[in-house]
Amino acid sequence: MFKFRFNKWYPYLLLSPALIVLLLLFLGGVILGLSQSLGYFPVLGLEDPTFKYYLEVWSSTEFLHSLAFSLFISFVSASLTTVIGVFFAYQLLKMRNENKIINFLYKLPIIVPHIIASLMIFLILTQSGILSRFAYHLGIIDEIAQFPRLVFDKNGFGIIAAYLWKQIPFVVLMVYTVLKQINGSFEAAAKNLGASESQVFREIYLPLTAPSIASAFIIIFAFSLGSFEIPYLLGPTYPQTLSVLAYKNYISLDLTQRPYTMVIAMSLTMITVILIIIYRKILSLISRYHID
Amino acid sequence: MKKTIVILIVAVLIFSLPAAAEVLEKSWDEILNEADGKTVNFYMFGGDRRINNWVDTFVADNLKEEYNIHVHRVPMGPDDYLNKLLGEKQIGRKTGSIDLLWINGENFKIAKENELLFGPFAEKLPNFNKYIDKDSKSVTHDFGYPTEGYEAPYGKAQFTFIYDSAKTAEAPSDFAGLTAWIKDNPGKFTYAALPDFTSSAFVRHVIYNTCGGYEQFYDMGEAEFKRTIQPAMEYLKEIEPYLWREGESYPATQAQLDNLYADGEVWMTMGYHPTKAAGEIEKGNFPESSRSFVIEEGTISNTHFLAIPFNAPQKEAALVAANFLLSFEAQYDKMIPANWGDFTVLDTEKLSEKQKNKFKNIDLGKATLPLEELEAHRVPEIPAKWVPIIEEIWSKEVAR
Repeated sequence: MFKFRFNKWYPYLLLSPALIVLLLLFLGGVILGLSQSLGYFPVLGLEDPTFKYYLEVWSSTEFLHSLAFSLFISFVSASLTTVIGVFFAYQLLKMRNENKIINFLYKLPIIVPHIIASLMIFLILTQSGILSRFAYHLGIIDEIAQFPRLVFDKNGFGIIAAYLWKQIPFVVLMVYTVLKQINGSFEAAAKNLGASESQVFREIYLPLTAPSIASAFIIIFAFSLGSFEIPYLLGPTYPQTLSVLAYKNYISLDLTQRPYTMVIAMSLTMITVILIIIYRKILSLISRYHID
Repeated sequence: MKKTIVILIVAVLIFSLPAAAEVLEKSWDEILNEADGKTVNFYMFGGDRRINNWVDTFVADNLKEEYNIHVHRVPMGPDDYLNKLLGEKQIGRKTGSIDLLWINGENFKIAKENELLFGPFAEKLPNFNKYIDKDSKSVTHDFGYPTEGYEAPYGKAQFTFIYDSAKTAEAPSDFAGLTAWIKDNPGKFTYAALPDFTSSAFVRHVIYNTCGGYEQFYDMGEAEFKRTIQPAMEYLKEIEPYLWREGESYPATQAQLDNLYADGEVWMTMGYHPTKAAGEIEKGNFPESSRSFVIEEGTISNTHFLAIPFNAPQKEAALVAANFLLSFEAQYDKMIPANWGDFTVLDTEKLSEKQKNKFKNIDLGKATLPLEELEAHRVPEIPAKWVPIIEEIWSKEVAR
């Protein structure tokens, strides 16, 4: 009996309840999605796997516009978030005395659900929102239509704003944690030898936190790419992001359209997988130069 | 041993027979008995707070008091619950989670064609036999599609436009007048993105008035239909630059459009209930100066219904609830604008003098058009099958 505990399969046995749930629900969903995207949906009478759905979707302008729109929003929001987030994290580091209030406040957006974040953007940034009324009372604008179109616009400004608000604290949290661990004597030594502030940041802190910055970027990028509520509530009628496009196709009552939805979902999955591969490549490249 | 197995198998088979047929054979008293103490899961469109409140208070309280039935309202509309039922039908789920549905139009057609409904049950309801004109076209057909007793009438609606009399002195009187108004007031008009139910109706008005009337659509092939509605799409593209945001984006739902109207971003909105403006003014959402108007050519009027899914767990309770909603008390209370303002489906010929007077005396509010004017400007719906096609073409041609 005791020998069993040292059996190399024992840990897997202990993990099996969680693994089974993960495999069945998650992997099961992916496999179902894949098979339906290939046109195999026996319940509906579609029995022959085919690539025609992929060809049709990938060559449709609606899909390509949605893809471009999704990638644009994710890239812009992830880049801005990372830059601003790293800047804030560094400022936090430079505050020698830990300010409890700031430490608590900046983390708040992380726990606020995305739906509430979109409501907030809606209430503040729309042409009949708070900012607009403020501008009207200050005499900057005379009527509603003069306020710039920040929400429901074709550039996704409102969507990007919502992502920024939600994600900057996340980046700050990730990067600040790593920054804190870095030995303060590096900076002291460098300053001693005459390095300027920006040199300290560029040559010491940046390279050392680069892996966590890169991973934060990719996490945010991948998440915002597949995110649904914010583009659904704040996005324009056309183009729609991939997730919203997939949903619109999914609720169509003509079930034989289901393969099209699955193709969109599979495309999103493929992009995510590519991102994971890039992420691991970056990690392995940078860790070669990582000094511990 | 063998005998017991055979008896067991027979017993299992007997008890797994669908109970649907049995429910329709029970007497009304048996149904009332069965429904006592049960819960009705009522799935209905949840985008109107007044209606939600009416169901949660008046309907729930009365069903509890009179029949000891608990009403559980779920704000899920046909777009979502039809998908759910289709999925359940596919995997053969015998006991679902929905008891009563609020449904009509193309959604009813899809439900009926895919065998998602229980019935025919309408004739089982005492109030249906007592108050409803069973031969009326608006009861036997829904958007031109035969109901065959699979849905019971619930209320009547007529599409009306709402405008702010403080911003617009005189409402347009006909379709041409409306077009002129839109062009004279750029950025002050829009409609929700299809497939929203109300804006879909707005597009149907455009079709009626630009493609030569509605009668032709009853007997037409699909390819011919697509060609015939082209002028309507051209019209919608033509007015696009004069719409809110120059038509770059359309409000995603009717609720958002109402919001834009309440905020003063646009100066008109629309609705399927003639009493919508009055009700919203009372609730403090719309400006006091809101009024309704219809166009000379007529606005679309239809009936909306109640149906029961094939796998409803509490069919008896659903029948009792549906019957209550057809009672005089429910129909009267429903018509009061502060509660809902939905017109009744009861046949006036079958009402007593007292009941007729009660209906006549309901104050529909300043913002509601008088019944005579509404009735004089009424047009019917076109067959349900055209609605998804209109929505698809709109998405492709106008939304881009």
